[in-house]
Amino acid sequence: MNKIAIVALGTGLALVASAAQADNGGPNSVRIGLYYVHFDTAASNISGPFVPSSLGLNIHVDDIETLYLAYVRTLTPHLDAELTVGYPPLTKTEGRGPATLGSIPYNGKVISSARWFAPSLLLEYVFRDPGARLRPYVGVGVNYTKFFARQSTVAGNAASGGPTSISLPVSVGPVATVGLSYHLADRWHLYASYSISRVNTKLTADTAGLLRTSDIHFWPNAVVVAAGYSF
Amino acid sequence: MRKIGVLWATVAALGLAGCGHDSPTARVATTNAHGTLVEDPPARLVSLDASAIVAQLNASSTGQQLLALAGPPACGVDVYYLKYWTVAPTAPGSSMPIMDSGALMVPTGSAAQCSGGRPIMLYAHATTVDATYNIADVLDPTQVEGLELAVMYAAQGYIVVAPNFAGYDISTLGYYPFLNAQQNADEMMDALTAARTALLSTFTPSTTDGGELFVTGYSIGGFVAMATDKAMQAAGETVTATAPMSGPYAAEAFGDAIMTGHVNFDAPEFAVLTTTSYQRAYGNVYSATTDVYSPQYAAGIDSLLPSATPLATLIQEGKLPQSALFSSTPPTTGIAAVDALLALPSPPNPVYSAGFGNPFLISNSYRVSYVEDVAADPDGADLSPPASGVPLAASPQNALRQDLKVNDMRSWTPRMPMLLCGGDQDPVVFFGVNTGTMEAYWQAQVSTGLVSVLDVNAAPAAGDPYAGVQEAFRQAAAQTVAQVGAQAALEQYHTAVAPFCMAAARGFFGRFLPP
Repeated sequence: MNKIAIVALGTGLALVASAAQADNGGPNSVRIGLYYVHFDTAASNISGPFVPSSLGLNIHVDDIETLYLAYVRTLTPHLDAELTVGYPPLTKTEGRGPATLGSIPYNGKVISSARWFAPSLLLEYVFRDPGARLRPYVGVGVNYTKFFARQSTVAGNAASGGPTSISLPVSVGPVATVGLSYHLADRWHLYASYSISRVNTKLTADTAGLLRTSDIHFWPNAVVVAAGYSF
Repeated sequence: MRKIGVLWATVAALGLAGCGHDSPTARVATTNAHGTLVEDPPARLVSLDASAIVAQLNASSTGQQLLALAGPPACGVDVYYLKYWTVAPTAPGSSMPIMDSGALMVPTGSAAQCSGGRPIMLYAHATTVDATYNIADVLDPTQVEGLELAVMYAAQGYIVVAPNFAGYDISTLGYYPFLNAQQNADEMMDALTAARTALLSTFTPSTTDGGELFVTGYSIGGFVAMATDKAMQAAGETVTATAPMSGPYAAEAFGDAIMTGHVNFDAPEFAVLTTTSYQRAYGNVYSATTDVYSPQYAAGIDSLLPSATPLATLIQEGKLPQSALFSSTPPTTGIAAVDALLALPSPPNPVYSAGFGNPFLISNSYRVSYVEDVAADPDGADLSPPASGVPLAASPQNALRQDLKVNDMRSWTPRMPMLLCGGDQDPVVFFGVNTGTMEAYWQAQVSTGLVSVLDVNAAPAAGDPYAGVQEAFRQAAAQTVAQVGAQAALEQYHTAVAPFCMAAARGFFGRFLPP
């Protein structure tokens, strides 16, 4: 578990510990917790100049953990609007395919990284009475993902053939979630949820004018554990 | 809503907190001055260590032969895709900057000869009609020249610079300045300048220009290598040694030989490349393509080659004849001397005879006009016996002959060592009229040893430093005849000589390396 996870859980526990002094709940709440994201990445083989299709060059995106933050507005007793965002995580991309390109190691090497700014806006239906201690919910919404700090690593530059810039256009796609809230005390709740979103983009790597591309479907599966405070 | 605004501000702050710069790609030149490296550093296309080179070569029989000839690699090889600015003629009296490409091969590895200051070998490739040709793509099985260079030179510690030339790969010129000495030499020097810049920013920047410069090339590249030596000598730049191989150096004499019936293999392609090149550069070959070509081939022939369409397809589509340069029924003029030059070769020669047929490429009227000029003002090299000093025609009137004369290499004398290498049975670029003519023209330099001539097909003489190459070639040639027959072996002859001349040239260059 990384530092972000520890900070998130620590903050959550501190909030829970102070719950006894809190006021009654209101229509707004904020949540903080931990995002664990697993990518079911499906990418087309990298194609472009001097990349024979027979090589079968592909990529894999490592799972990440990051800080979860959300603002939730209760619209009706059974309807919430949630704006959620994670601390922009650093995702690392590994090469998949032949062990080497010529004499350059490829398979399993981290060839690039990027940070994600990926807020989602969801409309959630919350089951059971507002006074119930345990309330499941489902939601759908839209995800916006912008990639930044896009870096080709030393290994990536070696495999690509030189200093390489990476383009990953913005993705806008649907997101769906299911979750469970637990009313801890007064204004405090605990949450657990699972969500999946469609994040599609086209990777373009530019090495001295040689453009190599891959269409990537990330399919991030996110599990969230969080604490919330209503006001 | 105000609280939502606060949250967004927090989110934005988090985003900024994690913000970093995107990684950059190569710097792109802001000028198109000739000799400028376009992308710095250039992209490395292939990186092979010595063991990977051996594995690559052992995967095919031709690779195994090449490995046997070149010897085991001492170094790995990084191949970079060089892009540079050069200049090419677009119309008579006018030229334009053009972005071209090529290969920069850098030796790698821990052996002493694989890093530090290394000799540069500047290479001009052989004739090709494939507009997509890229010598940097050394793993492309359709072209072997790049791999030959990598194995023969770069894997032995040479830095190799090899331009693709205008008209090929990324070039947008639309034609190849074929047999244009000035443009070809200028482009070689521009590629060299760009490569020297690129060397500073490769993956192995400690491998540098060691100061020795060797120039070589094969077929049309042999001509280009010689033209480059001439141009660099005129510019006061030092070339350590040169090895032109199987090139059409005596352009006028060679052209006259072909037009008088000594037709070489692949003559239709050479004819189109030459006339297109000279028409674009000098504008004097024809007013309309029908002035030179038979009507059925004239339309669009000035933009036909090089082409991304395979040559076999072009022939199948009727855009070029298979081999018939001239009519199988030669024209007559009633002038005995001219008609003798127009007549079918006698006795029949399997190489020359293939150049006659129906349909044919060059119109009878144009051939007559050319040959009349030859009869009136012959090239001294084509006389029997050759005139003393093998002089050029004094004042040719045919425009194509004038252009060939301008580009004929009987116009200078080298001051640095040169090896002329070829095979005396070459049916594509005739050895005698080209290498033999230069040998005669530079008789004084040959006698002092400044210019050496090697016929790989000749019987090795005692003490000959190239005896090993000659013996290896003769064995390989005999083996080819046994495998595919005499006719097919003859068709492969020009290409087959290349690696042997390359090996000889490497041995020749090795004499000038510091111990």
